[in-house]
Amino acid sequence: VIKCVVWDIDNTLLDGVYLESPEQPPPADPTLTAVLRELAGRGILHALASRNPPEAARYVAAATGIQFAAAECGWDSKATAIGRIAAGLGIGADAVAFVDDDMIERAEVAASLPEVLVLTPEDAAEVPQWPEFSPPVVTAEARRRSQLYAARQRRQAEAAAFGGSRDEFLRHVGTRVVIASAVPADVPRLHELSVRTHQLNSGGAALTAAEIAGLLGSPAHIVATVTLADSFADDGIVGCAVMERNGAAAWPVPVVMMSCRALGRGVLEALLAWLCRTAAGAGATELTVPCLVTDRNVPMRLALAAAGLRADPGAVPAGGRALFTRSLAGPLPELPDWVRG
Amino acid sequence: VSLERELAQLLAEVTGHPELAGLPAEARLFGGEAGLDSLAGTLLLRRVHQRYGVDVAAEDLNLDALESLGTLAAFVAERV
Repeated sequence: VIKCVVWDIDNTLLDGVYLESPEQPPPADPTLTAVLRELAGRGILHALASRNPPEAARYVAAATGIQFAAAECGWDSKATAIGRIAAGLGIGADAVAFVDDDMIERAEVAASLPEVLVLTPEDAAEVPQWPEFSPPVVTAEARRRSQLYAARQRRQAEAAAFGGSRDEFLRHVGTRVVIASAVPADVPRLHELSVRTHQLNSGGAALTAAEIAGLLGSPAHIVATVTLADSFADDGIVGCAVMERNGAAAWPVPVVMMSCRALGRGVLEALLAWLCRTAAGAGATELTVPCLVTDRNVPMRLALAAAGLRADPGAVPAGGRALFTRSLAGPLPELPDWVRG
Repeated sequence: VSLERELAQLLAEVTGHPELAGLPAEARLFGGEAGLDSLAGTLLLRRVHQRYGVDVAAEDLNLDALESLGTLAAFVAERV
């Protein structure tokens, strides 16, 4: 049962970044403000962990009308901040949830404090219905999502105790990845992924449901879905890629997107290997992936580099897309044996 | 302690694999025996940024500095 929720400030509780306009800071997010009030009414505490000056915490308290039980403002890691908050309140880390829009902040907290329930702001909007947050009624969908998070925490605990390599762990927990052509029934989930994957999305732009349906019907495009399951949970569709058929030439991949829930489970690497092998098998000579270069999507660039793709640093416009390319001649990235393509 | 060994220690911490503190400087980080994935690589770069003030991701588009601990140490040493 969650007793305290620790919140990030910038682009989480505030609709923007505090220090970009400290004289007139951005307003509080209305959806999350309602969540704060609802949970406070059930006796759940709130706290802040932010890389901002203490004035930001005072501003958030005023803007949301919420009394925060603790505020950690500064440059220590969020895991350190959460540890201090939990110790100060006299509760265990397993009674703490943490909400941050930054995938890497979330990954860092999940790695150092596996007991903490780590959430995106989108998930935090729904948690008043989750059983851990003691709601009056629990819906089936809310129960399923909360079970996925509980499974993730058990997986992290087992990974921390496991002695072998990452690949050995993925095999040990029965990881199953299936890469398949998308069907019309997948469109709503692919649209949701496209809207929610800000940081593991090569294109950076969301696709409408109509655009996705159009790609599914186009013979010139391959739309691949990635489903992920293991002995802890069935995560369903966690990723998608769109590739354009282009004969015996370079095949462009305009979209690669992956749920942050799948990060660290070998899925992005498997999808890129599958794209290389599928394109090469159909006669393509090169694979090209235009990818937005930001400080948030470093995992995407790392996966592209590990799959052998490179971009010309001289050809990237500021804030623009770099064209990552690799030849499909010679040895291709291997598909792990737990992937079915 | 050499920069390479400090980086190996950071690698052991972000992956939760203490044995990686002994990884040879020339071993490949991706694919090879370290078996780094994109998440662990990102966490390593963050620790490097915090500790040495070098933002590898901002300066190296293709992240070739992460080829091995040796190449990462050379990249960092040129900039601190």
